[in-house]
Amino acid sequence: MNMTHKRTIGTLWVVLLALTLLSAYMAERADTSFISASIMAIVLAIKGRIIVDHFMELKKAHIVLRTLMRTYFYVIPSLIIIVYLFPEQIAKWTML
Amino acid sequence: MNALASSYVSQTKPTSEQLNFVVKKANIPGSIAIWFAILAEMSEFAIMFIVYFLAKVHNPELFHEGPTRLSTLAGTTNTLVMLTSSFFVVRAVIATRTNKPKQSANWLWGAVACGVIYLIIKAFEYHWNTTQGLATETNIFYGVYYYVTFNHFLHVGWGSAGLIWVIYRINTGIYTSNEHEGLINMAVYWHMIDLAWITIFPLLYVIR
Repeated sequence: MNMTHKRTIGTLWVVLLALTLLSAYMAERADTSFISASIMAIVLAIKGRIIVDHFMELKKAHIVLRTLMRTYFYVIPSLIIIVYLFPEQIAKWTML
Repeated sequence: MNALASSYVSQTKPTSEQLNFVVKKANIPGSIAIWFAILAEMSEFAIMFIVYFLAKVHNPELFHEGPTRLSTLAGTTNTLVMLTSSFFVVRAVIATRTNKPKQSANWLWGAVACGVIYLIIKAFEYHWNTTQGLATETNIFYGVYYYVTFNHFLHVGWGSAGLIWVIYRINTGIYTSNEHEGLINMAVYWHMIDLAWITIFPLLYVIR
């Protein structure tokens, strides 16, 4: 536990704040486009990965735990893009 | 037959190396129990997110208009507050590892303050929604919004109480730089609450 680790954590915190402000800026702008939906999905993936790897310290932890937690932040961002691209098909498949 | 088993068969005393191999802890931050809780909670939130996606594809107009009537300012501020609280918790863990319990407790008080600020902002946001005529039964978007965000609100509440409990434990001097599993358990649980929020924020406040 040295200065470098503290500095890394501090830098990652600033990155997380900056990414949040980027999302907020997009929220205030026009409707969600494919580009903005993709950016939001990628932003979520990056934020989730930073917290899982560096805040929860799973980067070098047990592979099952690490994989489960990392997968979450592949799946949800992918769903954002899939739901943006194919809303009607998904609605059709999930009709009761 | 492994080395330990063969030492039993030959009735020789196992070496400490062989015993360490058996009792060696898996490389998991905190205890395995807290990770069962975290994975269960993450699954619960995942189900809510799936409900959100399904409701969205079946009600595109309502989910397009919904976020525009919520306070982006409140949602964004709370995201910044949650991320900062997580940063404070990481610093508290670092302080304990370097044998600075007083500093560690102070960082955790910072995280508790963030938790309280979050709850106050959320209460104001709910109040503001009410004045705008938004409620659980307004339409399905706000139904999902209230269900998910109130669930998260409760997590921040009991999570903050948990942080205060850990501060009390630090002050009793129970944790050392090598042995502080309780603190780590609380830290990873708090990060889970943060992870849930950073997912809720784009889904309900940003994406239309």
